[in-house]
Amino acid sequence: MSGLILKDVSKSFAGKLVVDRISFSLDQPGVYGLLGTNGAGKTTTIRMLLGIITKDSGEITWNDAPVDRKTVNFGYLPEERGVYPKVKILDQLLYFAELKGIDKVTAGAAIQKWAKRLKVEEYLNLPAEKLSKGNQQKIQFMTAIIHNPDLIVLDEPFSGLDPVNTEILKNIIIDLVRDGKFIIMSAHQMATIEEFCSNILIMNRGKTVLQGNLDEIKSHYPANRVTLSTDQDITKYLKDFTIENEHDFHYILKIKTEKSAHKLLQKLTADKITINKFEIMKPTLNDIFIEKVGAKDE
Amino acid sequence: MNNFKDIFTVAKFTMRDMIGRKSFRISTLIILILIVIGFNVPSFIQEINNGNSNETILISDVDHLFAEEISEVVDSSISYRKDPYQLEPTEDDLDTIKERINDDDSTSAIIIIKDGDSIHFDYYVKNTATSNTENLYATAEQIKSVYINNQIANLHLTKNQLDSIKPLVYHSVHQTDDQEISGNIGVMMILSCILFFAIYFCAFQVSSSITVEKTSKIIETLVTSTSPRSIILGKTIGIGLVGLGQMLLFVVTAVLSAYSFLDSEILNAMLDLSNFTPYLAIITLVYFILGYFVYALLYAVTGATVSKPEDIQAANTPVVILTMIGFYLAYFTLMNPTGELNIFASLLPISSPFCMPLRVMMGVASSWDVCLSILILLITCIVVAHIAIKIYSNAILNYGNQRGLKNLFKMYKEK
Repeated sequence: MSGLILKDVSKSFAGKLVVDRISFSLDQPGVYGLLGTNGAGKTTTIRMLLGIITKDSGEITWNDAPVDRKTVNFGYLPEERGVYPKVKILDQLLYFAELKGIDKVTAGAAIQKWAKRLKVEEYLNLPAEKLSKGNQQKIQFMTAIIHNPDLIVLDEPFSGLDPVNTEILKNIIIDLVRDGKFIIMSAHQMATIEEFCSNILIMNRGKTVLQGNLDEIKSHYPANRVTLSTDQDITKYLKDFTIENEHDFHYILKIKTEKSAHKLLQKLTADKITINKFEIMKPTLNDIFIEKVGAKDE
Repeated sequence: MNNFKDIFTVAKFTMRDMIGRKSFRISTLIILILIVIGFNVPSFIQEINNGNSNETILISDVDHLFAEEISEVVDSSISYRKDPYQLEPTEDDLDTIKERINDDDSTSAIIIIKDGDSIHFDYYVKNTATSNTENLYATAEQIKSVYINNQIANLHLTKNQLDSIKPLVYHSVHQTDDQEISGNIGVMMILSCILFFAIYFCAFQVSSSITVEKTSKIIETLVTSTSPRSIILGKTIGIGLVGLGQMLLFVVTAVLSAYSFLDSEILNAMLDLSNFTPYLAIITLVYFILGYFVYALLYAVTGATVSKPEDIQAANTPVVILTMIGFYLAYFTLMNPTGELNIFASLLPISSPFCMPLRVMMGVASSWDVCLSILILLITCIVVAHIAIKIYSNAILNYGNQRGLKNLFKMYKEK
């Protein structure tokens, strides 16, 4: 099984290049992060890999065969949420399951299983317009996975969900990966991507600005922050640092080198200041994203 | 094979969605009630007239010209008048008669006076501007007939003499045009209107249904579940079947109501269904299906180019104009079914669905005419379907301004 491969994929609309030779691959089950600012070309890339729109050039294969609607069993949660407002939830889910080739009995069982897991059982016989936005989103998530797809594309899966429902969805995604699913996730919340994705691709204006294993990417960046927690005010020791955050003797400092952090620690220890926490931190994905995309935008 | 299955699934879902909508069920019910009420209107009016009818015509035979016969006029008139009024022979003098007319708006009078060889009918009504004199004249005609018959009887003529005075008169109409035209204009107009409204409203539904899917963003999920071709064809078939069913329901209700509530003489005069043969029924159905498909697919394109529901009317305007041109071209050439313009209208794909069934009903269309017209319509259907699917596929996921022929052409050319 060679999974999903995108090689030098490009697409133009009315002469404007919106995706420029994008390449990435997923060779084993897991979550792949697709990042980018608005208009970076993520949705166009997703639509091409799902076969909704045709690519101008390049190759997209799933297990060595060209991707299209008939050959790949995929599920898709689009960024633009949509439901039939007047149609009962159960009927909508059965409709999409039938279009995906699932018989009514299997679909019925799957609907009950996922409705229970997502805590939406009581809404199945209501028209979609009666549901909250969050619950409508959970219904759309069910539409994406009800036919047990091999490849799942989740575009902003957590936007609009409260913390409880976010947690439910996160657990389901973890289970899907355990079940051997290939997931492509696009999100603006970098923390979410860091939590799920071992591999990422950052796009800007249709081009790849950074891609690879997240840990490896981070390892190329020097530490840039220190988290420090003490039992007294230590601001007089921090004149050479930029304080990013400060509350109740808890500080987040920006550092230029790790050496300057070590010097600070020595000073504090010498003055017998109680240190509850001291951590030199690598840059977050958010930092890397802003640096990469911001740098390209400048 | 999968495509057919998906088309069937989309059609089934579209039908359920349409029928399940409260607005659809309520509007259908309202139209059915209006149809039933509409066919009852003549009866209601008659009932109201009967209930209010207390019109009395006083007949004063001052010179006793008729002796017993005035009563005969009274008796005979009751039996066949649809809008009954009372005829009342009276011996009252003129002043008393005038007084009665002044006291009662619905009373009038005929005073019969002999003047030498002539007879005068003097009519008295309360107000010549506002009073209804129709029944007065009708009654006077009856009295005149009775008088003439009496006079003839007094001559003791033989049957031959009588026949020569009152010959039987026959009427017949001959046409100079070689082409024989049959059919009832009332039925043809109704058929033309039914076809127009059925095609127009059903096709329009396709446009709104596609716009709803696009603007509610469900289309994003739908296009990953099946092909645009299956969506557009399934939707068109589903809405067409519901529309056809709805129209049949209206027609059956109308026919049943007509036969149940209308006077049979009026009904036969208005609706001579003798020309509505099974062949014509099949032709009408074929033209409905093909005509509907052409217009529905055009509306599908306009529906797919709309990004906001409020823009749908503006986007549909060109197709609405096209439909109107097609309908009026067929409708106004109906009066000259052998004219070149009507023949042209029966071949032109935008007007042939409204025109050719009428030509078939009138018996002026040959089998070749019908075959050629259906072939042209079928080819148009396939070409429009090809273009519509292509444009739909490219327009459905775009939310910018896509209206105008230039943009449509661009979308058609896009891969």
